[in-house]
Amino acid sequence: MPTMSGLYLFKQCPRLVPPVIDAAKCNIQLISRSLYTVPNETLEKQRTSPLNRNPELRKQSKHRVLNSKEVSEFRDRLPEFLPNPNPEHRDRISEILERQDMVNRRRNIDIPEFYVGSILAVTIADKYAPGKDGRFVGICIHREEHGLRHKFILRNVIDKQGVEIMYEMYNPLILKIEVLKQEKRLDDSLLYLRDCPLEYSYIPQDLKGQMIHKGVQVPVNKTKVPLGPRPWSQRWDRFDLKGVEEFTDWRSEKARIRALESRQHPQVAKPWEKVDLIKHYKENINPVEAEEIYGEVDKDSKNWKND
Amino acid sequence: MIRFPLKSKPRKFKYVLTGCGSGPQERVDFLKKMVTSLIRHERIEGRADKMHETRAYAEQLINLAIQHGDRHEPTMKMADEWLLEKDLVHKLFKVLAPRYQQYATAFTSVHLLPAEYPGQGRFKAVLELKGNPYPDIIPRERETRYLLTNILLSAAGRDFYAEQNRLQELNTKSETVVKDSQEVNTSYENNVSEISIKDNVKVASSTDNFKESDQTSVSK
Repeated sequence: MPTMSGLYLFKQCPRLVPPVIDAAKCNIQLISRSLYTVPNETLEKQRTSPLNRNPELRKQSKHRVLNSKEVSEFRDRLPEFLPNPNPEHRDRISEILERQDMVNRRRNIDIPEFYVGSILAVTIADKYAPGKDGRFVGICIHREEHGLRHKFILRNVIDKQGVEIMYEMYNPLILKIEVLKQEKRLDDSLLYLRDCPLEYSYIPQDLKGQMIHKGVQVPVNKTKVPLGPRPWSQRWDRFDLKGVEEFTDWRSEKARIRALESRQHPQVAKPWEKVDLIKHYKENINPVEAEEIYGEVDKDSKNWKND
Repeated sequence: MIRFPLKSKPRKFKYVLTGCGSGPQERVDFLKKMVTSLIRHERIEGRADKMHETRAYAEQLINLAIQHGDRHEPTMKMADEWLLEKDLVHKLFKVLAPRYQQYATAFTSVHLLPAEYPGQGRFKAVLELKGNPYPDIIPRERETRYLLTNILLSAAGRDFYAEQNRLQELNTKSETVVKDSQEVNTSYENNVSEISIKDNVKVASSTDNFKESDQTSVSK
């Protein structure tokens, strides 16, 4: 493989060998990015070094110390404030700036507490719509991304057709977010509703909001949903889903057995990942860092807008 | 929180358990063995890469024990998975968790050992839990400043230099007196030169004595 060997040489001595562009272009981009960026640790040394003429002054914010239970509650309620745990995607300065922006947005608009499975109504500014705004009601089936880029997906059925809209939570075009029904489901992501019968994701557009009592534990909706006929968007039988009934409508007995066997195959089930402590550690922001972030959020939350 | 830099990707272990393959499952099985022996013996030796990998897992297990305690079901399950000898579960929660509660550093340390020669150039390492009962691998520098002999020696030195300074001051005073006297009266010149000659002789004789004594000591 000549292209790969060129890539290897390029990794070892980038200045000597011209980059091979025809193969693995994105890989080369990644490598060059890592070559020309200064690692965060060296920058941090420079910032805090006593030899630096203009050392960076850190503001020491004195927030209330949160206990582990409070931190886990915050993780559940405001997951978007935590940065991406992947160390390759981290940048401490941009994280701080993004958090400031998020907090400033929350001072101007009421973003209520909601979870995957809650029913929301979002009003968005739209200059082409008749009243210059549009309202969409749906069930929140997914939340993703970190910081300012946090997104959620609403799903509903309109004219016997499943419709999904993805909203960016801190988009300034959003005028209002209402929680019509605050509840949780058995799973963290309800993307499987795409492959379920439409009646399970239908919500009437004129649904009236329920009263939400603060300080009460959020109820869990324990309904189990049957899956529609195959093919699906993902192999849901291989996921460990609690909110889905077991699929019985296999094409034949042989197909059912084959699916069951493939689910139990070690390369699919991956039993070692359940025990891998360091894998779990790397996939989450550690409790010390989370406490620091949520401590400041907790301190600032008194200034947030509440309707 | 783990307080040392972690590798971004896990190390692959090849042929860790002979005859059992070298996949991710075998890797975890091997690490379980190493973590168990580390918590049992508090100091183990092996190949450097494996010791570094074991270190992270042992430390995270202790972290969980400190964070959640022994009444947390998932933590207890993890301890049960990772400690193959079940009496060590007790040690983890009752001995190690209290020991490392107030630590601001990592709970373990790794010391590289020299590579074997002739050999394959692999480095071995020692992995240990901090605060173990064994003697230190890198000896701590002893505080010798307040030992009795050192206190006496420093006091003697101080006395010696004080004496020297006093004598020097006396000499300078006498020289000034001599200079004044030279200007006033020149009849003392001969006497002074005699004294200086005598001094030189004295010094020479003393050096001779010293040499002789040296020789005698050597001959003895």
